[in-house]
Amino acid sequence: MDLIRYFLRRLVLSALVVLGVTAMVFVVAQVVPSDPAALYAGPRPNAEQIAKAREALNLDAPLPERFAHFAHAMATGDFGVSYKSRRLISEDLGVYLPATLELAVFSTGLALLLGIPSGVVAAARRGSFLDRFGGLGSIAAVAMPTFFLAMLLQVVFAQWLDILPLSGRMSREFSVIDPLRPVTGFNLIDAVLAGRPAAFWDAFLHLILPALTLASYPAGVAMRLTRSAMIEILQRRHIVAARALGLSEPRILFGHALPNAVGPALTVIGLSFAYALTGAVLVEIIFAWPGLGRYVSEAILSKDFPVIAAATLVVTLCYVVMNLIIDLAQAMVDPRVALS
Amino acid sequence: MKALFNRLGPAGSLSLAIILLFVFVAMFAPLVSPYPGQGAGSPNIAAKFRAPSADFWLGADHLGRDMLSRVIFGARVSLTTGFLIVALSLLIGLPVGLAAGYFGGWVGEILMRVTDIFLAFPALLLAVLLAAALGAGMLNCIIAVAVTWWPWYARMARAEVLVLRGQPYVEAARLMGVSHARIIVRHILPGAVRPLGVQAALDVGPALLTASALSFLGLGILPPTADWGQMVNAGRGFFPDRWWYSTAPGLAIFIVALAFSVLGDALRDKSEGRSHADA
Amino acid sequence: MNRRDLLKTAAVTALATAAYATSARWSLALAQEGGKIITLAHPAGFPDLDPATSFSNDGAVLANVYETLTRYIPARDGQEARVEPVLAESWDVSEDGLTWTFHLRSGVKFHDGAELTSEAVKGSIERTVRIGGGAAFIWSSVASMETPDPLTIVMKLSAPQPMDMTTAAGFAAWILSPGALDKDNAWFNAGNGAGTGPYMVERFEPGQRAILTRNPNYWGTFADGSFDKAVFEIVEDAVLAQSMIESGEADWTYSLPYENLDALNANPDLTVVSNPSFETLVGLYNTRKAPLDRPKVRQALSMAFPYDDVISAGTAGLGSRAMGVIPAGIWGHDDAAPVPQTDLEGARALLTEEGVADTGLELVMTYATGDALESVAAELWKANLETLGITLTLQPMNWEAQWQLAKADPAAAQDIFVMYWWPTYVTPYDYLFNLFHSEPSPNYNLGYYANADFDRMIDEANGLSGTDRVKAEQMFKDAQRKIIEEAAAVFILDRPNIHVIRSDIKGYVDNPAYGHVTFVNELSR
Repeated sequence: MDLIRYFLRRLVLSALVVLGVTAMVFVVAQVVPSDPAALYAGPRPNAEQIAKAREALNLDAPLPERFAHFAHAMATGDFGVSYKSRRLISEDLGVYLPATLELAVFSTGLALLLGIPSGVVAAARRGSFLDRFGGLGSIAAVAMPTFFLAMLLQVVFAQWLDILPLSGRMSREFSVIDPLRPVTGFNLIDAVLAGRPAAFWDAFLHLILPALTLASYPAGVAMRLTRSAMIEILQRRHIVAARALGLSEPRILFGHALPNAVGPALTVIGLSFAYALTGAVLVEIIFAWPGLGRYVSEAILSKDFPVIAAATLVVTLCYVVMNLIIDLAQAMVDPRVALS
Repeated sequence: MKALFNRLGPAGSLSLAIILLFVFVAMFAPLVSPYPGQGAGSPNIAAKFRAPSADFWLGADHLGRDMLSRVIFGARVSLTTGFLIVALSLLIGLPVGLAAGYFGGWVGEILMRVTDIFLAFPALLLAVLLAAALGAGMLNCIIAVAVTWWPWYARMARAEVLVLRGQPYVEAARLMGVSHARIIVRHILPGAVRPLGVQAALDVGPALLTASALSFLGLGILPPTADWGQMVNAGRGFFPDRWWYSTAPGLAIFIVALAFSVLGDALRDKSEGRSHADA
Repeated sequence: MNRRDLLKTAAVTALATAAYATSARWSLALAQEGGKIITLAHPAGFPDLDPATSFSNDGAVLANVYETLTRYIPARDGQEARVEPVLAESWDVSEDGLTWTFHLRSGVKFHDGAELTSEAVKGSIERTVRIGGGAAFIWSSVASMETPDPLTIVMKLSAPQPMDMTTAAGFAAWILSPGALDKDNAWFNAGNGAGTGPYMVERFEPGQRAILTRNPNYWGTFADGSFDKAVFEIVEDAVLAQSMIESGEADWTYSLPYENLDALNANPDLTVVSNPSFETLVGLYNTRKAPLDRPKVRQALSMAFPYDDVISAGTAGLGSRAMGVIPAGIWGHDDAAPVPQTDLEGARALLTEEGVADTGLELVMTYATGDALESVAAELWKANLETLGITLTLQPMNWEAQWQLAKADPAAAQDIFVMYWWPTYVTPYDYLFNLFHSEPSPNYNLGYYANADFDRMIDEANGLSGTDRVKAEQMFKDAQRKIIEEAAAVFILDRPNIHVIRSDIKGYVDNPAYGHVTFVNELSR
């Protein structure tokens, strides 16, 4: 019962967030000094072309009318066309959203994979060299500027060692000569569906560096959360009892203690996903990843308002839905959350 | 001195020393940098892309300016940006949190829901959007980041107030008919300020990270003013052949952020509290 | 070696092998195709593949798919500049310059099989004018068109204009099949098209690439060993573009940092091709704002500009000193123009004379965010002006914002507006008219220069340029000297066109009249 009430509360709040975001984007669009008509009229337009675009875009309509139109567009998902490219935004989103989600999911997985085991080990060998080293690593991961880390990873793995691709989503062999048919838009899944292991492997290799860049921060957090959760749990009575009964250490760690660390893991998933979605703005530019981050940052720079609005809304939706799921899962794992 | 060292431990003390060193260097940038003119932006074409040497310890940039001087002058801008972001965030967040916590009820509810909305917004995206809307420049960059930052302080302040509000001396003051404003300023604020102050001081690191990300995107501090994020970006086209260009400011950001992080750990010892999903 | 080390080594080896295998397969795939793919890495996208409205980098793709009636060949190797026949075999003009007759090439087929006729030419131009986007204004003086027979088109003008140059324009002059005339913008941008060019659109992935495939029925010639496919890859990041050209993943690119060109040139696999371009970098003074409304103050500022330093630091010495706004290679270029030299003392004297020396004058200069050359020019000029007690505030903005600010209210706008200019078609009039001809409301004359004499001179010269080009050229030069004397702008430099190509690519010639266009059929490996 509490759980349902909690969920409903969160749902209402999420709706408020989406509404707030939409309103905020509209306000920003109004205060930004820009002339959508000049943008829509194409490169190097003359006065006549701009006047024509003004009319076509109905820019001289009163504010409330434009807001109504805008709100309708946001609500129905009919985002219209980009001022700059005049392409259908929904079509562009169909290409860029999966690219970003694929990266976000992959980097979240990587963060858990790196952070949780190292947290467990650090907790088990508390105070050891490994623990200290891991502690320093986790702090460093948090303090590292994303864009600088990306550059370093590129130099080391793509240019010096030459074992991973520098950037992009797939090698030209696949992107140009024999492209994957986009079914889900997730290259890994599409490669499996098409039964093409080489393409899968290629897409996988391209994911590693950008995902690692995005995973570094949440992995650092994951390690610290896991470590402290484990330390606390290892001191609890049933673990001490298990130890006294002579159960093997790995068995205690992974069989009894780790399940209690689900809470922090959930936190990290939420954090990592959010981080990947917003960090995409930086990382996608450096790794030439054709995703939402690059799409929206380009739009922001050229003040392509419909694209900004649509992309921001979509990112926020992903963000909010993910948070909702995490909160709910957390409440199910630990009912105290719902009560607070 | 010794007590402080004992409290912070070796790592924390070292971090504090590093931070103080950067602050010192930033304050006296024109005196400590080898080429103050170049640090401030004067070009020196003759030394274009000079590699690190005795003359230019960290090499020279595309206009021949000494990287060490640029990094030192960059410390001014970057640290100031970091401090001001936190200060501005406190200026917004503290009153909101105090009011929400003290008055509670529907006022508190509304204030906290607004706070939640800001918290739920993808932070870096909002900052980029605002920075682009306001136009590049230091002040706009500070505003853009602060808008995504203050909700944390509002939340913290509210939590502190909720505790303090129930204290007997506050109750007593209220019964004596002391005005709300006076109670807040006299009795609640002092109690809330200290924990928030510590947190805020430590947030300068992450704030600086976020601001540097904006500068990296060309939305923050503009050349010829030296700024670390912007310098990393400027050097990217020449990386790794002229590695010093991006590396020097990149490492500076990393070291400062790291020092704030370690210091924070030392102060909180065992806290896994909040963390920003930024930069 | 313990177990963990073993695992690590195995992982690295596996990754390395996989990566190696990947690149090896790429070469293999190339070999199977007979080495017939060329990859052109472009730093900017192709936003509009509609030949009527395209007006930016997309021209690089379209110029291989569509053709124009004529083509401009700049002066080079001791040869005079000339206009070359393409779809028109010949043309003639009436004495008053108002009637132009073009005789079309026969036997030319569009990609969809339709024949090239005068009706198709007329229809293409009409479609462009009707839509009115992009560079459609180049046809504004065409009053009517007649098609006396299938291979002759007659254009009647309302005012004289060099139509052989107009039909050679880099935009809005493409001829398309009658079957495509009723198609909308979306149709073209979905990767469709029907021109007469040597290549046809195979696939278009906006934001990523356009792939063209050879037109087997092309009327013209292909170089020996020319390419079956041309991939126009959008690579916005210069770091990536450089890595692609170094590894051979790309065959041609541009816009790499000037500073890296020496290293690239030293690489035997690569050739750096440097040509003059028709792109000039200019800083327009706000002539409506004190004290820049006084020519002497503007002259002083121009004398404080570090021309040589900007060329050496900004373009690694490859750019050339701008002699006004009309670059070398275009008729009307004036290599003896009296442009100012860097002279700080002279500038100081002039400023003192005008009473603005050391008065704490502050000027705002706007330029494009992220443009390395503009930012170098800005920073160096700022340093020079500082010694004269003038504070130059640098305001990099993205183009839309910069332009918006300049157009809104001259009195509240920037003091100096920096931008590149390139001509829509090759005439000095394009530069002089757009940048300095008075306008009812500011469009591109963003220094708000207004001089009735100057206006009259260039309008007259333009009228003559179809019939008496020698006289027109002299008039343009005289007009340009006027704006140089009055220092309407600071003429920063003419940008070099630098292309980096793989050494095994043969037949590459850059034509600055068509910025960054590569005519792929002329190339081979």
